[in-house]
Amino acid sequence: MVHRTLLVCAGLLFGGTLAAQQRPITGKVTGSLDGKPVAGATVAVVGTARLAATNASGEYTVSAPAGPVTLSIRAVGYKRKLVNVTGDQGSADVTLEADVFNLDAIVVTGQATGVEQRNLANAVSTVRFEDLNRAPTGTLEGALQGKIPGALIQSNSGAPGGGVQINLRGVSTINASVDPLIVVDGIIISNDAIGNNLNAITAAAAGGNASNQDNPVNRIADLNPADIDKIEVLKGASAASIYGAQAANGVIIISTRRGQAGAPQFRMTQRLGEFHVIHVLKSRVFRDSVEADSVYGSKAQTYCRPTCPYFDNISPLWDRHPLSSETDLSVSGGSDQTRYFVSGLVKRDGGIAPGTGYDKQAARVNLDQQLGSRWTLNFQTQAIHSLSHRGISNNDNSGTSPYLVFPLTPSFVDLRPTGSKITSYPDNPFERSNPLQTYAFLRNDEDVWRILATATLAWQPVASDRQTLRFTFTGGLDNFTQRNDIFSPPDLEFEPNDGLPGTVVLGKTQNTNVNLLGNAVYTLTPPSRAYRATTSLGVQYFDKSLNFTNLVGRNLPPGQSNIDQATSIAVNQDVQPVRDLAMFGQEEVLGLDERLLLTVGARAERTSRNGNVKRFFLYPKAAASYRFTDFGGAAGDELKVRAAWGQTGNQPNFGNKFTPGATGTIGGLFGSSAGFTAGAANIKPERQTELEAGVDATLANGRLNVNLTGYTRTVSDLILVQTPAPSSGRAASVFNGGRLRGRGIEVAAGYVVTQTPTVSWLVHATFTKTTSKVLELPVPAFQVGGFGTSLGAFQVEVGKSATQIVGNDSLGRVVQVGDGTPDFQLSLANDLTYGRLGLSFLWDWKHGGDVINLTELLFDLFRNSEDWATGGRQRRALFFKGETQPYVQDASYLKLREATLSYHLPASAVHQLFGDRVRNATVSLSGRNLIRITKFRGIDPEVSNFGNQAIARNIDVAPFPPSRSVFFSIDLDF
Amino acid sequence: MKATTCLLALAALGVWACDFNITDPNNPGPIGLDPSRAEVADHVIGVILAARSDAADWILDAGILGREAYRFDGSDPRFISEFLNGPLDPGGGAFGGDHWIEEYNAILSANQLLDVIGTASRLTTAEQDATRGVVKTLKAYAFVMVLMGHEEDSIPIDVDRPIGAPPAPFVSNAAAFAYVSALLDSADTHLAAGGTALPFALPPGFTGFDDVAGFRRFNRAVKAAVEVYRGSLGCGATCYTTAKTLLESGATFIDTSATANLAVGVYFDYSTNPGDAPNPLFQNPQTGENFVNPRIKDSAETKATTGLDDRFTSKTVLRDTVTTENLTSYLGWVRYPATTAQIPFIKNEELILLRAEANNALTFPVLAANDVNYIRVKSGGLAPIAGLGAQTQAQILGAILHERMYSLLYEGHRWFDLRRTGRLGPYLKDRATDAVFPTLPIPLDEVLARK
Repeated sequence: MVHRTLLVCAGLLFGGTLAAQQRPITGKVTGSLDGKPVAGATVAVVGTARLAATNASGEYTVSAPAGPVTLSIRAVGYKRKLVNVTGDQGSADVTLEADVFNLDAIVVTGQATGVEQRNLANAVSTVRFEDLNRAPTGTLEGALQGKIPGALIQSNSGAPGGGVQINLRGVSTINASVDPLIVVDGIIISNDAIGNNLNAITAAAAGGNASNQDNPVNRIADLNPADIDKIEVLKGASAASIYGAQAANGVIIISTRRGQAGAPQFRMTQRLGEFHVIHVLKSRVFRDSVEADSVYGSKAQTYCRPTCPYFDNISPLWDRHPLSSETDLSVSGGSDQTRYFVSGLVKRDGGIAPGTGYDKQAARVNLDQQLGSRWTLNFQTQAIHSLSHRGISNNDNSGTSPYLVFPLTPSFVDLRPTGSKITSYPDNPFERSNPLQTYAFLRNDEDVWRILATATLAWQPVASDRQTLRFTFTGGLDNFTQRNDIFSPPDLEFEPNDGLPGTVVLGKTQNTNVNLLGNAVYTLTPPSRAYRATTSLGVQYFDKSLNFTNLVGRNLPPGQSNIDQATSIAVNQDVQPVRDLAMFGQEEVLGLDERLLLTVGARAERTSRNGNVKRFFLYPKAAASYRFTDFGGAAGDELKVRAAWGQTGNQPNFGNKFTPGATGTIGGLFGSSAGFTAGAANIKPERQTELEAGVDATLANGRLNVNLTGYTRTVSDLILVQTPAPSSGRAASVFNGGRLRGRGIEVAAGYVVTQTPTVSWLVHATFTKTTSKVLELPVPAFQVGGFGTSLGAFQVEVGKSATQIVGNDSLGRVVQVGDGTPDFQLSLANDLTYGRLGLSFLWDWKHGGDVINLTELLFDLFRNSEDWATGGRQRRALFFKGETQPYVQDASYLKLREATLSYHLPASAVHQLFGDRVRNATVSLSGRNLIRITKFRGIDPEVSNFGNQAIARNIDVAPFPPSRSVFFSIDLDF
Repeated sequence: MKATTCLLALAALGVWACDFNITDPNNPGPIGLDPSRAEVADHVIGVILAARSDAADWILDAGILGREAYRFDGSDPRFISEFLNGPLDPGGGAFGGDHWIEEYNAILSANQLLDVIGTASRLTTAEQDATRGVVKTLKAYAFVMVLMGHEEDSIPIDVDRPIGAPPAPFVSNAAAFAYVSALLDSADTHLAAGGTALPFALPPGFTGFDDVAGFRRFNRAVKAAVEVYRGSLGCGATCYTTAKTLLESGATFIDTSATANLAVGVYFDYSTNPGDAPNPLFQNPQTGENFVNPRIKDSAETKATTGLDDRFTSKTVLRDTVTTENLTSYLGWVRYPATTAQIPFIKNEELILLRAEANNALTFPVLAANDVNYIRVKSGGLAPIAGLGAQTQAQILGAILHERMYSLLYEGHRWFDLRRTGRLGPYLKDRATDAVFPTLPIPLDEVLARK
């Protein structure tokens, strides 16, 4: 029986290619506006599987069956065009019209299906290569800021090398995963943020385990923006349902660039630039011994006699700007049968503080191989190495993080070194460390090696005018090893404080994601062409295995950094294997002259993280859109109404289902007792149900495009922790319960102010507003972040916004003193070209959203704030009356995220400068975060002491200051 | 579609075989049915670890509440503000709300093992009984710890319930003490049927008590202590008699012979070995945050030869005077002089004073006086009190408590001793605004769970 099945399968897989008469059709594709050739356009023979792509000169050759055929020509940035070719016609030149708003672009609707933007029933945002690479970015997430309506993308700190949270549509959970699912070329890659256990030095969290105050990098940072063709963002359950229980925070689908047939096309970008600190907080200036004594008592007397000297110890720490550089090189080309894209990246971002910086090298090979007329093989592989040096920042309890040292250090003390040796740095008489010494000699390296590899085999056994059938099989691997090396030499001022001078931390984390994905897509068009139905079915297997080990060695002899030499060693291991299996199906019907799109689909998924590992949880979705083309507007105007509904899950955290025992030894005997946390053996995923509706309009003769979306979502079965009666022996018990709601409005708008062959001006704007409310909570209100009510804490409470911040008022009552969610966000992008000159800039405005500013509180507490006389004194007085309010501050900001001025060199200049091999050359000057306007009094309004957080992100405790960058770039095509 | 089915079947074939039942790779889970000998051993040690987890913290906190100690901690003022001034905060699980969940966690650990020990097919019936006896004794000890800190007649005892079940009802302290007493007897009965050797090793702190006969002596000693406590808390002669009988029958390890070692007893061990904990009460006595309350020195007696009570001089040391919040101390602790210093469960010296207390209550003043004087001479280097046996019962009790103060200094007894004998009072205040608390409040979460 099995044999027979296999034989039938083998027959189906490898059998019969249809033999038919063939003839070549050739032609050239050009753009209507400038008459320039369009490279990379896809030329398809409608009703067959035959495809060709244009070369750099816009030329194509496609083999078509005998008789009249229709060619469909499609290129990114151009409207799709259908061309009829008669049976005796051997060539067809095509002119494509610009598609400024990408209405003809195919947008993802499922794991293997897509639909043209003009029909799309969901608010899926697409960010393309040219939008990503306009201005250089430290890591990919930075290049997305301000470009996606519904997304709040904020840096957790200014340390080089990433650590950015992407939040789509506000609060979606309290205790489960907060990060969107990242899918690259069809496979789910890791976006883990793995702590380096800097906590061993900062003691920010009690206990020895890795803490989330370690300023970790989430690993999406590894991706190279220059490799990315487009990023599609599924923001909520209505669109992301097909990705099931990992998609509650949305899905970011990344497609990397592909090769184009033709002679090798080289593209090189060389960038050189610098980083500069944006903002620092400084210490108070003390005039004389009277002022100094009032704060420091007799200890100040040796410094102020009677006038105090002033030393700015803070600015020099953040005042480096070493040369930063980036070299991107890519080559693409190939034949009709084989196309390749190969790229390489070498990048170095110099850090603003001594010993900090970020290095990355990456290489990618993408291959597309035609295997006969019905089979194609796509192969993508990337190797990445990154090395970041992120210094020491964020909260501590050991007097080591600079902004926890500076508040206690008066400006009349000189911390500057007299030489370059570790002993040339003076001890800080007022706190446990000298940050200038710490940064000069403490090493905090994160070294990541990563391999991404994906292969997709596609088979199209049926391709006719009426029906097509396509199978794809994808296998993918994402493997990285993250090594953390922290070395704090015994000679640092603070090191002897614990009685064990010298600390070395060795962390090694290995993570492997294995993806297997099978899809079948069948399209049916009846002879009447009344509709087109697309049926897709798929199965997906996902296996993730994360293995974290961390060693902390203390008490090192001078000059030694080998952990062998440490006299005290602590070891920690955490292993997290996860397996998921899902099946999904989707039916999509496009009818009524391509005006109506109806979609229904569902995914059934089980995961080893659930209590019941056998149970499949179902995540359905449905969507509809209707396009009005003749509603009285001008020609080309159209209006679409759309609605979508769907569900996703959010998997339980690893270990939620376990009730771990506590272990230890006594007298050399191992023991295992009941732990304090009771897991839930029946834990299940959180469930998000989202309804989204919107209107998309193209107006003013196609010059204005507006997408308006509203959504409401409910998350139920939240993973919650309740406090049982302590006489049960347990302090916490995990369970599913409660409900929270999110609502929001998103607008994306584009307007072509003018577009002629010499002048063009495009404006894009996005608007985002989200709110949340806790509807049901079967436990008393609880705090999820912060350092207790008096210092401001995020409190989850029924009937309140999920991101409310509570604090004390002057009467000792606990009251709401703020909210982390912004009132709204607005971005405005302008893209101008005038002849060879180009200018683009992107403003990003966040209005509202509060941050708990504990860095300022520290300066105030120790009467050392720069504005002590005019502000600090009053804030401190209010705080000592019990008021939290002064330190919960409006963190609105307006940032010029990107600005680029470019010049496209004339052919003669290109020839003179680079010889005749180079076809195009562009020079540009670009900056990121050049302008920042904010009322926030802390170091940076985007900050998060606890890294990526579902709710409690806006807490400022001694962060690494943010920086702006300016780069000069030259792009060459040859 | 036949092809679709086919391909999906192929793709799924390998995948379906994968096992989704992943067990916790990082920690052991709760003990299951039919545990192996090693699992039983691990969980017995686990109960000891859980019982140890609060021992040092209790000594510090009860020491402050019972005016043995201060903690001048710059980063946490509550050791002064809450413990000496109040109010005691039942929320939060620290300070006022402390000394509850750790004990109940030990009780949970004990119950988890007791629930499955009968299914341990690798253990003989006798070995199962021996295990029950050991674990029930440790469980009773954890209840004693709860009762020492709380006297609001709100003690849950029937706590062996699944998570999510309604919490155990509160019973009075007297009922809880009676339950503990019966639990110790039940443990002793199991031990009596437990053969000779225990089916697991015990830590060095149990040396001499690590076989069945030895552990029974420990069990009976705890029982004697519980009966004396009960006697002083209202049970009276019945309980004192039980204690007297136990302490005079040879069931315990009481020893007043010439060669007696007062330190013989059962102890918690500490170390800096991997997985172990150092004794947190060990501090550099010149720089640590923990101080001796100077009234300990003020009431210390002078020896016949010269100097103060040996028990005072061996457990404290002079340090630089520190004053904070109008509290002053010039003494540091050397009671636990190393990270490996053991903390006693119960020791011979206590048994002798317990016997004195029972005899005094049962109007055998001379017997009581003999034990008091024995301790004064042997442990304190002091002269015996002449004519003590002729003093009033209250005076003799005063003498016993005085000796307990120094013999059991910084071992977590003083506050409870003063309470159960009705001797807490304003005289213990260091500052006029201070308060003297008779009990810790029942933790807020325990109360909320019943609403």
